[in-house]
Amino acid sequence: MPDEVTLTIDGQSVTVPKGTVVVEAARKIENLIPVFCYHPKMAPVGMCRMCLVKVGTPKVDRGTGKVELDTDGKPVIQMMPRLQTACTTPVSEGMVVVTKDAEVEHAQKGVLEALLTSHPLDCPVCDKGGECPLQNLTMGWGPGQSRFDYSDKVHFQKPIPLGDLIYLDRERCILCARCVRFQDEIAGDPVLGFDNRGRSWMIISKSDPAFDSKFSGNTTDICPVGALTSADFRFKARVWELQPVPTVCNHCPVGCNMTFDMRANEIMRVMPRENDAVNEIWICDRGRFAHHFVASPERLTTPLVRKNGKLQEASWEEALDLVARQLDGIRESAGGKAVGGLAGPSLANEDLFAFQRFFRETLGSPNIDCRPGTALDLPLDDFGAEYGLTSGTDLMQLGKGTVVLVFGADPEEEAPVHLLRIRNIAKRGGTLITINGRATKLDRFAEHTLHYRYGAETEVLAAMLKPLYDAVPPEGKRAALRGFGDLRGVLANASAERAVANAGVDGPTLEKINQALASATNLVIFYGQEALRAGTSVTAGLANILTLARKAGAPNSGLVALVPGANARGALDMGVRPDRGPGYSALKQPGMAAHEMFDAARQGRMKALYIAGLDPVQADPTLAEALKKVDLVVVQELFLTATAQLADVVFPVLSVAEREGTFTNAERRVQRFRQARRPVAPQRPDWQILQSLARQLSAEAVIAASANVSDKSRRQARRAEEQARKRTDWSYASPAEILMDIAASVPLYKHISYASLESALGVWGRKPNEAYYFDGTSYENTGGLGKQVPAGAENGGTLSLQPFNVRTFSQPAERPWKLIATPFLYDDSTLLNGSALLNNRKARPVAALNPADADSLGLKDGDVISIASGRGELRLSVQRTRLAPQGVVLVPLHVQGVPLVTVVEAGVTAVAIRRAEG
Amino acid sequence: MLYEKYRDEIDAILARYPSKRSALLPVLYIAQDAYGRLDDASIREVAEILDLPYTDVFEVVGFYTLFYNEDVGKFVLDVCDDVPCCFCGAEELVADLEQRLKVKAGYTTDDKMFTLRRVKCIAACDQAPVLQANLEFHYKVTPDKVPALLEDLRRKVESGAQISISGRFAEH
Repeated sequence: MPDEVTLTIDGQSVTVPKGTVVVEAARKIENLIPVFCYHPKMAPVGMCRMCLVKVGTPKVDRGTGKVELDTDGKPVIQMMPRLQTACTTPVSEGMVVVTKDAEVEHAQKGVLEALLTSHPLDCPVCDKGGECPLQNLTMGWGPGQSRFDYSDKVHFQKPIPLGDLIYLDRERCILCARCVRFQDEIAGDPVLGFDNRGRSWMIISKSDPAFDSKFSGNTTDICPVGALTSADFRFKARVWELQPVPTVCNHCPVGCNMTFDMRANEIMRVMPRENDAVNEIWICDRGRFAHHFVASPERLTTPLVRKNGKLQEASWEEALDLVARQLDGIRESAGGKAVGGLAGPSLANEDLFAFQRFFRETLGSPNIDCRPGTALDLPLDDFGAEYGLTSGTDLMQLGKGTVVLVFGADPEEEAPVHLLRIRNIAKRGGTLITINGRATKLDRFAEHTLHYRYGAETEVLAAMLKPLYDAVPPEGKRAALRGFGDLRGVLANASAERAVANAGVDGPTLEKINQALASATNLVIFYGQEALRAGTSVTAGLANILTLARKAGAPNSGLVALVPGANARGALDMGVRPDRGPGYSALKQPGMAAHEMFDAARQGRMKALYIAGLDPVQADPTLAEALKKVDLVVVQELFLTATAQLADVVFPVLSVAEREGTFTNAERRVQRFRQARRPVAPQRPDWQILQSLARQLSAEAVIAASANVSDKSRRQARRAEEQARKRTDWSYASPAEILMDIAASVPLYKHISYASLESALGVWGRKPNEAYYFDGTSYENTGGLGKQVPAGAENGGTLSLQPFNVRTFSQPAERPWKLIATPFLYDDSTLLNGSALLNNRKARPVAALNPADADSLGLKDGDVISIASGRGELRLSVQRTRLAPQGVVLVPLHVQGVPLVTVVEAGVTAVAIRRAEG
Repeated sequence: MLYEKYRDEIDAILARYPSKRSALLPVLYIAQDAYGRLDDASIREVAEILDLPYTDVFEVVGFYTLFYNEDVGKFVLDVCDDVPCCFCGAEELVADLEQRLKVKAGYTTDDKMFTLRRVKCIAACDQAPVLQANLEFHYKVTPDKVPALLEDLRRKVESGAQISISGRFAEH
């Protein structure tokens, strides 16, 4: 094999790919070479000198060019004159490496002794103590005694904040630059560096705000000493007291694998759990630091029932009984259709499945939705499932030949860890294309970037579709694409020139993008909230690019929809939507969408609303009026949200840390989280509340079904009764049983079970001593890797092109600006409740304007402006930033004090801006 | 604002390099001369001119000892007190300078003319003792040469010649 190299390490032969460094080759045969600065995820630098080894290569006769042989016929090995750093030395054929002998040991002892000269040895009060590579390597390789005087140590002021979240103890730092390199190479936020030289060398962060990165917590994981500690975990616990419980992050659609590290029923810290198919070994700071909602004293603890106009504590029996009786009454008098249900994308699959069963089967209501019903609701996304990333795709393996197109998305804010993974594909040789209305951080790593005018997205897509469309060979191939003919007319006038004129994009770049798309071996397309909000023609256009590039259902290809919420895909898969049942099955009678339910409520046609894990009133306070007209409002929540405050009955639920369940991430990987914490109050999991109600309600249903028997033939009667029994079978003892039911009734999920979600164990499990490379006790994955459900297009059959239209937004003259709602990672979501550490990072309620635009309006930072659309007006203070494109005002989504819902319209919102008086 | 004031010079420097990053040192020289030192605000200003991350510029400033974070005189007098210079009378030279300038090493004269510093080897051991005045080297400086040297430097300042603590004009 030309691409492989065989070498000998301490007498043991090992074959590894060309280009491997000696440390990695040794690691493969479990020969541990000690390292500090080397990290398998980053380029080697050879800074710490801990990995010194003896290296020799076969001696080559200069005359003949042949390897010299000794008398036994073995190659003569010529040792290099000095020790080499094993982390920077690439292997070569016939290389001989000695990692254990007196000379190497002498060097290792010397390096450790030198590193410890300025180390304070304050392990008893150091958070890293117990999982510290410096401790471990000193025990294993260090000298027992130091020749340096203890009182000669260099001292610095004890920890100084590098930013809000991370503290630096300069005495402990061994200057390995792992943190600096992580920020540069992996996070792409070059906010750490070295100041000064020699003994006063130290890590600094001078960004504004300091250590401005959404991935900063990872530096504390990879720090091989106790120099970097997190503000959240400092002095909270000794690591050997912690019990890590596998969980899945509930904050965004990436679904990072994590552990809750528990001590005495409290979450002490959150650590990443390695899963190369999802998050490698990284998590973002929101996932790591925003766990405090779990232990927040503001959590709801008991059911609340409205009595005399006030919510008052009640027993579960009382609250359940009340809701069951009232729902039964409404079902009897007004029918199931007078009941509406909203269940949010942060609920587990098991809850969502139970929710739609409860509505469709028990109550007989088709009215369910996973959106809050405000003007900001996104269209329901089917393409992410139909054309989704095909099962078995591992983004970590993709590189050369892969084209990643990111359209209308800001992964840094919407799904941070995807940013790292997309960047890594580009680093491995993939082609990254970003197409957005504004600059995003991902642009920095992209080979091609286009910035379109908002409203002209479809113009760009048409220009991208056209060459792919024309390239589809006639006859058979065209017939195999349903809807092929329909696109002909739409694309007839499409051209790059037109896109340049109408969307303001760069022509030559568009040309290069089209070439890249046409020659892609694998094609992965990410799209986010801005693409979704721009309308289904945009997402359909992206789906059509995939299909016409003949990558729909192809390996290592597909769409990834960044729909907000940890389980947004799960909610759509489970059929928590008015138009489709579980597994995207067709419904005879579609129900009302969330906003239609509120319209009906306003008109007095909605008798009951059941809201789980959503807070529509917070997003749109005008919905409060609608809720007041509903006879029965039931809310299942963690907190007494604005919506819960208006409810008739509030059920307190268990958080992700206190129960079991599964989430389905944006790549459609179903992943399991475990119970880490005993409930401290009598809250219940969402599914169990629904089951209790369903049981009470369905006793009636069976009686009704058997009462009808006399009117029907026996066969019909038996079927009706069977169906009724199935409908009324609510005997789930655990979420695992609900998942079995899901697997039985949703074809997509037929291979999913709690056991299968753990089946890949061991793939990335740690070998003995691997902690030295990866640090401490973190990362080990004992909780399973989850399992991806197949995309619709994988089933074969005829592929469909989706209806796609080119629309150009025409700006009304009286409203010459465009308002764009921008998502932020740190918004005012209830899941950030109690995590005060992140407060300084939260998006501020400001309107971002390009400085040129602000100048033209005579606006300074902080000036208050009125932003008026056709629907309403909004007042915000101005922030001048080059990140805002000209002609656009960027307004943050889900931030308190920004009533976006009062102004946004479908598609692009045209607004007038003027300085607000007073 | 630095860029507005030195636009031509900065543009000329930027034009010399294919990437803005390469222009960092010469632009820092301008900033240090303009402000008399490189404090946080001036370092950030340079970073913005060159579109560099703030931290990167702080790293460079921190690395080089000829960037000063506090005010210095028109001339910074660096006297080497490493071993070879000491053998040849560096200590006597420092003592003499301290006495004549009426400041201790590490300080600036009241008239803001000179800053006296002790430094380690500046790579001219064969001509010890060595004194560096901004970027000018003065070799075999014995106390008897000091009055003329100081007078010469003063005259330069008074003559209105371009003086740069960064050695910005040294290459011309």
